[in-house]
Amino acid sequence: MSSEAMARIERRIAALLRYGTWLASLVIVAGLVIASRDPVGMRLAQLGIGLLILLPVSRVIFVLFALLRERDYRLALAAALVLLIIVASIAVGVHAGGEAPGRE
Amino acid sequence: MDVSFSLWLFAVAAATSALGGMLGMASGIFIVPVLATFGHIEIHRAIGASIVSVIACSCGGAAPFLKNRLTNIRLAVVLEVATTAGALTGVLLAGIIPVPYLFFLFAVILFVSAQQMFAKRRDLGLAETRTESCGWADALKLHSRYPDRALERDVDYQVQRLPVGMALMYGAGLVSALLGIGSGVLKIPAMDTGMRLPIKVSSATSNFMIGVTAAASGAAYFARGVIVPSVAAPVAIGSFAGAVLGSHVVIRASSQKLRLFFVAVLVLLGVEMLLSSLGVHVF
Repeated sequence: MSSEAMARIERRIAALLRYGTWLASLVIVAGLVIASRDPVGMRLAQLGIGLLILLPVSRVIFVLFALLRERDYRLALAAALVLLIIVASIAVGVHAGGEAPGRE
Repeated sequence: MDVSFSLWLFAVAAATSALGGMLGMASGIFIVPVLATFGHIEIHRAIGASIVSVIACSCGGAAPFLKNRLTNIRLAVVLEVATTAGALTGVLLAGIIPVPYLFFLFAVILFVSAQQMFAKRRDLGLAETRTESCGWADALKLHSRYPDRALERDVDYQVQRLPVGMALMYGAGLVSALLGIGSGVLKIPAMDTGMRLPIKVSSATSNFMIGVTAAASGAAYFARGVIVPSVAAPVAIGSFAGAVLGSHVVIRASSQKLRLFFVAVLVLLGVEMLLSSLGVHVF
């Protein structure tokens, strides 16, 4: 990968993470403000939390596509593996829902 | 919704995050003990709330590292395979491990953090020494360079002992998922001591990986229903606000005094967690 291509990818990831965090945070704050009057606001806050959790995942997807475009298949395989592990982790979370301690 | 409790959560998260940020330390390690001890929040919920704030701080703080070209994205992708695998293991164990064991593990990590903060990290100056080359790191083209401000030039560095790094990262991912912390306290030494990377590259790349590692366990806990918005939302927003604030505030107090203060806080929280693991609750 050329250093210019790398620099461009770094700038885009920086923007994705920065604006993504602000967007998710604003949704959470809006949810909390609404929740102080109406319980439905908590649903919005929960949506914001979901967005925040998905942000690093979207970053991995972005890196995966950048690597595929650069035809760097070995490293793309590593990125794909990271995504696969995250999906497996979610599957474990969904599966173990009923018996988890601390559940609402 | 209990507004005053939400404000308390927000304030606690903001204060720990701002103070931690001044010393380049993530706040997750403070949040869970404080929520569990003083807020009397069930520990799995505290961990779920903390992991969300870890993601917010990692993602929110990544841009300056990337712009200064300190983050090694290629290396991060490879090491993330190990950290997320560790996180997956942690998710599998989280519901099974008895709570006293979690408190004990927390105490250990707090003492390790205190020791590291006391010793004060320093650059080992191994950046440009070409010693043993690593086949995998060569094949995956993980070696890179970073601009060093003090030297006013780009410094080349080699990624060494990748298998050692991968093993340590697996452990860091496991601890991150179990305790709801970023575990930069394990990731940074794994890179600068284990893989012989420059400290600035280690910090930046660790921060970058922390978000993905935390997302792997966070997504599972979210699906599992242990991330309770009434706790997690104020904590996440507080941590993020504190991190933003902390990065803009120039430290007026002597940094050495602040450091010793933090060492004392870490040791006290560690002792408190140790007592909790033995069933003694002080507060």
